[in-house]
Amino acid sequence: MGRYQRGWIGLVLFLSIGSGSPPATNAGTGLRIQVVGSTTVLPVASRAAQKFMESSSSRILVNAGGSGVGIHSVAGGRADIGMASRAISQDEKKRFEKSHLKIYPVGLDAVACVVSSEIYQAGVRQLTPQQIAGIYLGKIRNWKEVGGPDRQIVVVDKERHRGTRHVFMQYIFGNASQRTPGTLLVTGSNNEEQAKIAQSDAAIGMLSFAWINDDVKAVSLLDQGKEILPTWETVRRGNYPIVRKLNFITAGEPKSEIKAFIGFVKGPEGQKIVEESGYIPIGNFQP
Amino acid sequence: MKAGFGRGLFGTHHSEPVGWVFAAMNFIFFLCAVGLGLFLVVESVPILRSEGWGFLLGENWWVGETFGALPMICGSLIVTGLAIFLVLPVALSGALFTSEYLPSSFRRRVKGIMELLAGVPGIIYGLLGVSFLTVGVKDVLNLLDGNTLFTAGFLLAIMILPTVLTLSEDALHSVPSEFREAAESLGLTKLQIALWVVLPQSLPGIVGAVLLGIGRAMGETIAVMLVIGSLDRVPGFNLFVSGQTIPSKLGREAVEALGSGLHWSALMGLGLTLFIMVAVLTFFGNLFVRRSSQ
Repeated sequence: MGRYQRGWIGLVLFLSIGSGSPPATNAGTGLRIQVVGSTTVLPVASRAAQKFMESSSSRILVNAGGSGVGIHSVAGGRADIGMASRAISQDEKKRFEKSHLKIYPVGLDAVACVVSSEIYQAGVRQLTPQQIAGIYLGKIRNWKEVGGPDRQIVVVDKERHRGTRHVFMQYIFGNASQRTPGTLLVTGSNNEEQAKIAQSDAAIGMLSFAWINDDVKAVSLLDQGKEILPTWETVRRGNYPIVRKLNFITAGEPKSEIKAFIGFVKGPEGQKIVEESGYIPIGNFQP
Repeated sequence: MKAGFGRGLFGTHHSEPVGWVFAAMNFIFFLCAVGLGLFLVVESVPILRSEGWGFLLGENWWVGETFGALPMICGSLIVTGLAIFLVLPVALSGALFTSEYLPSSFRRRVKGIMELLAGVPGIIYGLLGVSFLTVGVKDVLNLLDGNTLFTAGFLLAIMILPTVLTLSEDALHSVPSEFREAAESLGLTKLQIALWVVLPQSLPGIVGAVLLGIGRAMGETIAVMLVIGSLDRVPGFNLFVSGQTIPSKLGREAVEALGSGLHWSALMGLGLTLFIMVAVLTFFGNLFVRRSSQ
């Protein structure tokens, strides 16, 4: 349901921008705001954009691409707002020093270790970080080694610049750009990874909480003997370890229209959208 | 026509200004080709300088550390080779049947459908592939996962079939009917005429059709990207593992690397490699045609 809704919103947005673009007479009043980046932040941005445009002459275009793309685009001047589901890395900070990137957190998300529903049903309900590390390093190759059925593991990784991968690998390995020789498939967006894991009956992967459904199940993390359930309740209490901020990024001080949009997302209406999109409003979190 | 224009260019027919317009258009095309090549070469200089031959022979593509294109080059060659291997028998028999056996009213309808199919964009095939083919391949072949080099090659074969078929058919059909009549008067059967008279005569056209098919298969980005698994790994001789092609790699990383120095240059290096691979194939294809027509 949620996914279809997002699709419709995207379509409406696309059509309203594509067909309704006003002719030159109107061009002075509306500013075009380009928003590019993380597919995790995208649902929030596109819903907020739709709401925001009802009462503003600015036109907002929201595009996917991943956190890396978001940061690179805004630093390179190809977008006004970059979306990122992770912090700016040291390397990027150094490279884009001149762009004076500013970060505006708009919400919170958590990343879960997910498995195909068949594996979940077969009894794999929890994994230790060491087991997950072993799987991604190619040392554990069969589900029966971690209490599952006798089936080879389809290890699904993400493109290296993706925000979800950064925070996940940071938690599992302590290194955001860890190499994973056990990988079998590399995917891009959350949607793509969700689809590939759902199509398989023996896959493991990493997904933002908002993408978990009946075909793609989140497992608990067993950290030092303590079971951490992958639920929003755990996140709210500050006990879930793989949490990240969803960020808007601008290069330097933004123009007033762009600032207004960011303000809208951080305001009460925008934060309601954050919650509706399956994330946690930024104010509610005490780490 | 060619000779007339040649004379116009060299002075005898000054009364044909249209010839100069044609020449200018031709020059635009020439500029595009040269400009594209130059752009790729210039952009890939940094990576070639820092990696040398290691760029073509390296097996690891770790952004920020080392760039080796071998997994992508192997992937492209394997996937395209597989697609052509699967397409050739189907396309050739289909073309022979359409050209030599079908009555002309049917032939026109079949041609229309083929040309329509040949224009379907890659993303449509990609979506069909990712929805049905990957799952089908996995179940039928009992594989660990359906996102493999084989799936990509199979999808490309389906995708280029209409192009190769319709162009081969054009080549077969354009063989003058005198050849067929002469062969018939010698007492050859229809099958013998098709195989030993019409097919050899149309060989250059068929090679051209196959080359166009290869070009499309090698350059296809999105359809391959969705079903190949996108894992940078030299696949060895196993078709049933995930891999990566040059265009799928470009599709995954181009936006992120835009304007970021060596990473961008490495991707341009990949583009240049693909450009050269297609050029070499076309060259040998033409050479083959010239040899065989002598």
